[in-house]
Amino acid sequence: MSTPLPYPRFPGFDVMSQAGHWDEVTRQLVEDRLEPDGGASFFSRLERRAAGALVDRLTGQDGGQLVPVLQMLEDRLASGSTDGWHHQRLPQDAEVWRRTVLHLDADAQAIHGADFADCTADQQDGLLEGIRTQGDEPWHGLWAPGIWNLWMRYVCSAFYSHPRAWEEIGFPGPAFPRGYKNTGLDRREPFEVAQAHPEQEGDPHP
Amino acid sequence: MSSVRERNESAWLLPADGSSTNHALREGMRRYPTSQTVDAVVVGCGAGGATMLQRLARRGWKVVGFDAGPFWDPDKDWVSDEAGSHQLFWNEPRVISGADPVPLGSNNSGRGVGGSMVHFAGYAPRFHPSDLRTYSLDGVGADWPLEYADLEPYYEQIEAELPVAGEPWPWGKPHSYPHRPHPVGGNGEVFQRGAEAIGLRTAVGPVAIANGRFGHRNHCIYRGFCLQGCKVNAKASPLITHIPDALEHGAEIRADSMVTRVVVDEHTGRAVGVEYVHDGVGHFQPADVVIVAGYSIETPRLLLNSASRRFPDGLCNDFDLVGRYLMVQGAPQTAGRMEQEVRMYKAPPPEVSTEEYYETDPTRPYKRGYSIQTVSPLPITWSEHLTAQGYWGAELRRRMSDYVHWASLGALCELLPQAGNRVTLDEQKDRHGLPVANFSYSMCDNDRHLLKAAQSTMEDVLHGAGAGETVTIQRFAHLVGGARMATSEREGVVDADCRSFAVENLYLTDGSVLPTQGSANPALTIMAVAARAADRLTGAA
Repeated sequence: MSTPLPYPRFPGFDVMSQAGHWDEVTRQLVEDRLEPDGGASFFSRLERRAAGALVDRLTGQDGGQLVPVLQMLEDRLASGSTDGWHHQRLPQDAEVWRRTVLHLDADAQAIHGADFADCTADQQDGLLEGIRTQGDEPWHGLWAPGIWNLWMRYVCSAFYSHPRAWEEIGFPGPAFPRGYKNTGLDRREPFEVAQAHPEQEGDPHP
Repeated sequence: MSSVRERNESAWLLPADGSSTNHALREGMRRYPTSQTVDAVVVGCGAGGATMLQRLARRGWKVVGFDAGPFWDPDKDWVSDEAGSHQLFWNEPRVISGADPVPLGSNNSGRGVGGSMVHFAGYAPRFHPSDLRTYSLDGVGADWPLEYADLEPYYEQIEAELPVAGEPWPWGKPHSYPHRPHPVGGNGEVFQRGAEAIGLRTAVGPVAIANGRFGHRNHCIYRGFCLQGCKVNAKASPLITHIPDALEHGAEIRADSMVTRVVVDEHTGRAVGVEYVHDGVGHFQPADVVIVAGYSIETPRLLLNSASRRFPDGLCNDFDLVGRYLMVQGAPQTAGRMEQEVRMYKAPPPEVSTEEYYETDPTRPYKRGYSIQTVSPLPITWSEHLTAQGYWGAELRRRMSDYVHWASLGALCELLPQAGNRVTLDEQKDRHGLPVANFSYSMCDNDRHLLKAAQSTMEDVLHGAGAGETVTIQRFAHLVGGARMATSEREGVVDADCRSFAVENLYLTDGSVLPTQGSANPALTIMAVAARAADRLTGAA
């Protein structure tokens, strides 16, 4: 599996090994996240190819998948769960997702002569960075800063809800009913893992 | 003043066996038929509504509280998980607009019994006396039709009922807290150390988290999930601080019941009750007094959606004031990278505050001020801090892996009330067919000055603590105003007792009545204003 990190920063950190210490409701929720049933689908087959490529690029997941962001995203969009607001300059969230993935394909075809999903990673990144830095100008009639914000909100709330992502950043996840006993600077719980070479060359933090 | 337990027994009505909910109390709850005219209905069971319910029930009123969301059972309904807590927020559709649109939902809007305090961080500071006189003192904002002395006894009552823990408070009108300050974690330590380095005074608290056992509520376990609903029952929300006592004294809670209209008799001009939808079926509950406490978005929306022949532009809206002067605080958060591990997810996000820059400083080019507090974003929220810097993809992942090294502070800036910042009805409809709220927000120059000053102070503190890189995310927090109190109907929607000028038996008792917001988290003040309104309504004060 490819990863944007040169090495695991918290080697051996296994969040789920502590699941026995979590309350039942939370444990069930997180375990279900590890094995999504894959029932709901929101995108058409055509839309899904572009959407999958999009969310993989946004979360740095090319090659292999740490977190099934596309499936989590589709489940959420199919259930109509929003953040409780949308910007007046944009349609409602689900419509923005549908339209933007098709616009990505249109741009990719126009510029690179291929569907977005078939472009190289660099080509995909170039298209996406163009939208991110578009400024207040509309992109295919849609307000670009709002699109970027919406994309990142949805994909990050999926990605960083996943134990595999927590392990990558050293976060142990649920904490009820056990809580913590070692708070304070440079203090760890027995189940928290020390970093590998945090301040040395090759530190993932540039 | 009577002891807390004598006037509000909520904490002792919770189970003593470590579980969260007194199911027998809920099952035995008094129920009123819709054919019976009750003494009062309360729309919304959050900070303002639940306080009213408890106070009125204690005085023998027959009251029914409505909430659009569920009657939470923390054991079953809440999780120790960030994404899994999404249901705590008002996720029904709303539209945002203006030059500086304010995201709603998780940021500032609750749903269900307990309201937004279910997911508030827990900070419970008082307003300063100056907050009630900003127009007289500084020529900005508005003066309240109340004085600080009118609120002070209610601050003391509510602080004891939540209860609030903190060091003796040197700012505003100095006061102390009923519970001792909590120990601080790594994030709080960074704030204290950085502040000391630059000569800035801080204090631990004030947080609505009992320090020690309180009634049958458990001690805080410092797990850091305050914003996800406290499964421990340590952090205060009306679900555990006021609702149990209200039930014990005969109040009924109708959860999952969305009030869609306040009905006013065209002939008498009096409110006669509310229409509501439960399980898709419409009902009408008659009442002698109608109290609306739906918070700053839904209260104005309900009034606007309650237009009639007598009130063609919305209930209580003869002077085009409903929905206006809606405020949010500027809430930039600045994080600093420490060489040590901070692991800010451990310990409650609310730990340490300073109100040293709260008041107007005549040497500065702006009026009013800001406070600074610790905040401790969990991973999903922390990712927003980094995506706000423009990071995405592999770069975002690399930066996120540095999470354990970051400490984070948040400012609350007193953005000024402006008439144009308001709720109107949008063309979009909700699932009940009612127009949703459109919240338009734009800042003024004074606001922008404050944001800049607050960010600069937070950077100084973090660098003082030894931080290298800092990053700042611009955001907003809290909602107040939208149906403010004033001395006359030409300046506000309600009077100092929260009674509407237009309808003599209609009261608004939530954050929407606040004319200014200070730099303080509003929950305590909303409860204090409601507790005072209850005393006035029942002739107790």
